[in-house]
Amino acid sequence: MQPFLVGISHRTATVELRERVDFQTRGLASALGAISSRGLAREAVVLSTCNRSELYGVCEDPAVVRAMAAQFLSEYHGVDRHELEPHLYSLASADAARHLFRVAAGLDSLVMGEPQILGQVKDAHAAATLAQTTGPLINRLFHASFAVGKRVRTETSLGAGAVSISFAAVSLARKIFGDLKGRSVLVVGAGEMGKLTAQHMKSQGVQQVTIVSRTMANAARTAEAIGGASAAPWDDLIGQLGVADIVISATGAAAPILTRAQIEAVMRPRRNRPLFIIDIAMPRDVEAAAGEIEQVFLYNIDDLQATVQENLARRASEVHHAETIVTEEVDKFIAWLRARSAIPIVVALRQRFDHVRRAELDRLTLGLPPEMRERVDDITRLLVEKLLLTPTEQLKSIGDADVVSTYAEALTRLFNLATQAPAEPQETARTDRRVEPFIRPAKR
Amino acid sequence: MNVIPLALYSAALVAYVWHFATRHREVGRTATTLLVFGALAHTFVIGMQTMDAGHVPVTNAASAMSTFVWLLTLAYLYTEMTTDERAMGAFILPLAVGLQIIPATRPAAEARDAILQGPLFGIHVSSLLFAYASFALAGVIGLTYVLLFKEIKAKHLGFFYARLPSLQVLDAMNYRAIVIGWVFLTIGLAAGFVWAGRSPVYDPRLQAMSLQDPKIFIAVLCWAVYSFEAFAARAIGWGGRRSAYLSALGFAIVLLNFVPVSYFLTKSHDF
Repeated sequence: MQPFLVGISHRTATVELRERVDFQTRGLASALGAISSRGLAREAVVLSTCNRSELYGVCEDPAVVRAMAAQFLSEYHGVDRHELEPHLYSLASADAARHLFRVAAGLDSLVMGEPQILGQVKDAHAAATLAQTTGPLINRLFHASFAVGKRVRTETSLGAGAVSISFAAVSLARKIFGDLKGRSVLVVGAGEMGKLTAQHMKSQGVQQVTIVSRTMANAARTAEAIGGASAAPWDDLIGQLGVADIVISATGAAAPILTRAQIEAVMRPRRNRPLFIIDIAMPRDVEAAAGEIEQVFLYNIDDLQATVQENLARRASEVHHAETIVTEEVDKFIAWLRARSAIPIVVALRQRFDHVRRAELDRLTLGLPPEMRERVDDITRLLVEKLLLTPTEQLKSIGDADVVSTYAEALTRLFNLATQAPAEPQETARTDRRVEPFIRPAKR
Repeated sequence: MNVIPLALYSAALVAYVWHFATRHREVGRTATTLLVFGALAHTFVIGMQTMDAGHVPVTNAASAMSTFVWLLTLAYLYTEMTTDERAMGAFILPLAVGLQIIPATRPAAEARDAILQGPLFGIHVSSLLFAYASFALAGVIGLTYVLLFKEIKAKHLGFFYARLPSLQVLDAMNYRAIVIGWVFLTIGLAAGFVWAGRSPVYDPRLQAMSLQDPKIFIAVLCWAVYSFEAFAARAIGWGGRRSAYLSALGFAIVLLNFVPVSYFLTKSHDF
């Protein structure tokens, strides 16, 4: 049993094709239902974001499952298989684990280190849990991927620093004002860019957004589009400047609309309450010299772009560190997977011993009083457990699957286990509670 | 005795700086733990000296320094716990370690001078030490404010940008420390003034208690600077960076008064 994945992502396919194999539109539950009804995989999770559609499962033979999965994707989405095939990738075992861990860490994202993907991976696993298509192996794999995502976020700076203009503006505003709640934002100009940045600020909890535009109707329309914003006439620009904490200027004016002298005049009655001006207009709306005024922080589009570039470079320098974490966790997972392959034989061996023990116990303790019988039961159980402890640990520590199967064969013959060997350990565990102490998971 | 807190503070300093550079959470927790143990050891040392001498050890420059460092550490720990902000530790601890070297290397017996008795004297010294600890915090916060301010103004968002809290938070912390410090400075100075005037014991040092004495003059100068910062600066628009500079300047004066003036210049306060 090993994990596998088949998928398509922004690295292998265009957005047109990705849109056509997107699972979100019809819902993950329907996809998971289709997978289990086809018997495609014993355990399955579907991860579907705007940048990737991936199918994770557990199988014996990855080559067979790859063909089945490709067929499924083609039929489920109504995309010609020959069109789809060149864009599909499929990975198994350690490679599949590495891929999922890299995805969860944001290493495979379009924007390196972006944080949403970890939540999306968690949602995908939750949906599969709800659809009851998860099992012990896939659960272990996904929980390990959450741990990788968390470790990469806390131990590296892969996700640090804003990597988009509007996010960079919000992050700067927070560094100047702390909490943005109760702050007021003035948007100059009714264009798209100003609107987007204002919306971003609004989502961060700013109290008041005011739009000033040369045409009052445009200002009112933008205010309505943002929601909960108000519009003010152009003549009131300077007055609004006096009360705002953050100004986003994005007009199409050919010459600066705010001069240093105008801003200086506004700053005096403000008693130097900080003013953060984001000038994203091209050509610029605010005289560059205004940035020299005490407590005025003036950033234009190039300044913001430069901080974004710096952050991207810093993230790139953290990739190596993050990859090291991924490798560590893949090794841990594979060690667990290998230890797990020995479990069926361990369980069978243990059942065999216990069977013999109980048979002899029933035969030999017939005439004994109950408390004596109980005592003999305890002693013999302890004895069997002690005798089996070392072989169990030895079996679990074997790293190579081939060696495990050689051992399994030998043990099966020596103890005549064949008829009892269970296929899946967890099922056996359910039928015989006493076996449990021997199927503890490998230490992480 | 003061060596043990010094060793723990030094270890905490290393951990705080390491945490500031790498931002590993475990390192940060270790730093705080070390500092808490340092403060506990220091509390023990001061407690022992208090039992020994019958009063808080403040009657010579070295032991007053030790008490000051102790108060500074407690004030910082309080700030860290209430704001959940560890970045400042990397700036406070060098000061605490640097000053703690004095009592650790120059152990002086507590003098039981007859004139250094009475509740007014106790209020005088402990209020001033507490005020100075507050000003030390404010000075360091002011320094970090200026560092962050410069990065944002220069549009080079780097080391401090990623590590320090926002300008607004630093400004508020600075202001709070200044106001608390100012209250204790005022109480301390008033108590000293009344105590010197009423002291029944004759002592030549009392004759030197005047504005011409450097220690007293600088203390009054401090009071003027901090009064301005606490009450007038914001009214005329001197918030933010200017206020931060004032805090740094004020603490530089306090430190000047505390170390060189106490040791070499003053005639009235050479205890």
